[in-house]
Amino acid sequence: MRRELLDCEVGRIELRRGGSGPPLVYLHSASGEGEGLEFLDLLSDRAEVLAPMFPGFGSSEGIEAIDDIEDAAFHLLDLWDRLGLSAPAVVGLSLGGWMAAELATRWPERVGKLVLVNPAGLYIPGAEVKEIFGRPLDELAADLFADQAHPVAQLMRQMASATQPGTEVPFELVKPVLAALSATAKLAWDPYLHDPKLHRRLGRVRSDTLVVHGERDGLIPRAHAEAYAAAIPRARLVDVPGAAHLVPLEKPRELAELVAAHLAG
Amino acid sequence: MRFFSFHLMPYPALPPDYDGPAWVTCPNSLFDPEVGHAIYNRYLDELVAAERLGFDGVCVNEHHQNAYGLMPSPNLMAAILARQTERVRIAVVGNALPLYDPPTRVAEEFAMIDCISGGRLIAGMVVGGGPEYYSFSINPTQARERFQEAHDLIKRAWTEPGPFEFIGKHYKLRYVNPWPRPLQKPHPEIWIPGIGSLETLEFVARNRYAYMGIPYFHISVFERMFDMMRQACEKEGYQADPLQLGWLVPIFVADTDAEARRLYEEHFWYFVRRLLPGINISPPGYTSLRSVENILKGAPSFALNLQSWDQVVEGTYAVVGSPETVCEVLSEKLARLGAGNLLGLFQLGTLPAEATSQSLEAFATEVMPKLRAQFPHAQAAPGAVA
Repeated sequence: MRRELLDCEVGRIELRRGGSGPPLVYLHSASGEGEGLEFLDLLSDRAEVLAPMFPGFGSSEGIEAIDDIEDAAFHLLDLWDRLGLSAPAVVGLSLGGWMAAELATRWPERVGKLVLVNPAGLYIPGAEVKEIFGRPLDELAADLFADQAHPVAQLMRQMASATQPGTEVPFELVKPVLAALSATAKLAWDPYLHDPKLHRRLGRVRSDTLVVHGERDGLIPRAHAEAYAAAIPRARLVDVPGAAHLVPLEKPRELAELVAAHLAG
Repeated sequence: MRFFSFHLMPYPALPPDYDGPAWVTCPNSLFDPEVGHAIYNRYLDELVAAERLGFDGVCVNEHHQNAYGLMPSPNLMAAILARQTERVRIAVVGNALPLYDPPTRVAEEFAMIDCISGGRLIAGMVVGGGPEYYSFSINPTQARERFQEAHDLIKRAWTEPGPFEFIGKHYKLRYVNPWPRPLQKPHPEIWIPGIGSLETLEFVARNRYAYMGIPYFHISVFERMFDMMRQACEKEGYQADPLQLGWLVPIFVADTDAEARRLYEEHFWYFVRRLLPGINISPPGYTSLRSVENILKGAPSFALNLQSWDQVVEGTYAVVGSPETVCEVLSEKLARLGAGNLLGLFQLGTLPAEATSQSLEAFATEVMPKLRAQFPHAQAAPGAVA
């Protein structure tokens, strides 16, 4: 995957591009995953993969111009236009899945096949999403990963202990994490991780949609994936065993195969 | 030097087996309203006594949903004090502007207090601590923007004839026309507390307000912050007046140093170990990245990390001792800090009524007069400090 910079309405956006074939856009989660992601390498065998970093993540600028999820959707539309994309396939994880849904409800003709992996964005009473803000990173790692030995889970635990008094955490290490959390908070603080109007609009999505649920997701209850699958007209739900919230990190091969089958089918 | 008696109004009766944070999620079933009835009235008595004792002012503050400080509405307290005192300034330190929608509510309530008290209000305005953004679900990424816009609206509401329209990003009001208007001209003195965010320092300097150092850090952090404030004023083209700086610090006076420590120490630790936990949640986007680095420098010295009484003394986290010791320490530190406002926190944690009163009396009769003589000052003009 090659790294590129693209000037958009909100500012300069960092994105990764690799592979050849029909275009596929990957929208990342609040973790800001993308660099060195094996899942994207696997996808680039069968598609031209475009993985933009959302404003506030990586070196993407423009978060000042984004106040809410609607602004995020309009930013993506602008990005689509500048990349010359008509109706690419879209794969979105968690926050990225929510953004994909917001795009697809407003401009259904601009989204091809759709894969929503543990998507956020809905409010379901009785199936509350766990808190992501203000929680120690080691606790969060326990909810995000089925296998606590995953390198990213270990890194999160290291960072949690690094914020204990007496240890010096280089600010350069802390900065990107703070920026990512801040960008996420702009979209997801109030109301918490959802758009009250999204559910009633999901009927407008025209894409063939695969909703993927990580069987061991400790953050977003399965009811959310079920609700997405029920509300989108041409959608089906599939579980990935052994994966928690960040499925592309934990089960890249299994997920890549599911996506490939969905794109081909 | 101006001397203020500051109260936090803490909840002193957390059960010994509760070891969670005191903020946001501390179950409110732990609040006993009978205790509430007793302590609210006792704490108000302690503040009212400050007038008889010769203080220049009293201070209350605002926090929500926690055991650390029971004044979600400081304006209620200020209103009570406005009727129960006649001379002292009444400082609300401060209204958390983003939590008031619309912000004209602050303009209205402050104007009421100012009228009722005969022009004694000091109007403190704060962004609101991190926990408040969890308690009210207000977006912390908008905290500074909201604070700025609310501040601008309040100042205009006080100084511009109404009705006028105010259309901002966060607040859109067709008719701004508060009745009453404040007594003090052009408006009450404005205080802004801070913990070192650069934006706050620049804001205070630019507007010629007074900066109150939020406590619970090593004294060296205050020294650095106040130096930065003086620099910020210089950048604005003027020399900071000492009355533009305030040092809030826990103080306890008893007959001897040993007696003071004996009477005070366990209550100080209740404060540190039971009431502080949870205060330092910093929600995302609450502080700009350029300020985070500055604030992080002071973070290791945060009082939550204190382990020993020696550290408390070395870092001047509290000034505890005989009248002579307290006078000496305050004298030295106030001179170094260049602050013209001393905000003494006399009641702390579980410190009981008798010990609090005795300390207040001892401070007022044996320490304050000596410090007054050492640091004479000109009375600040209402509305502007410098």
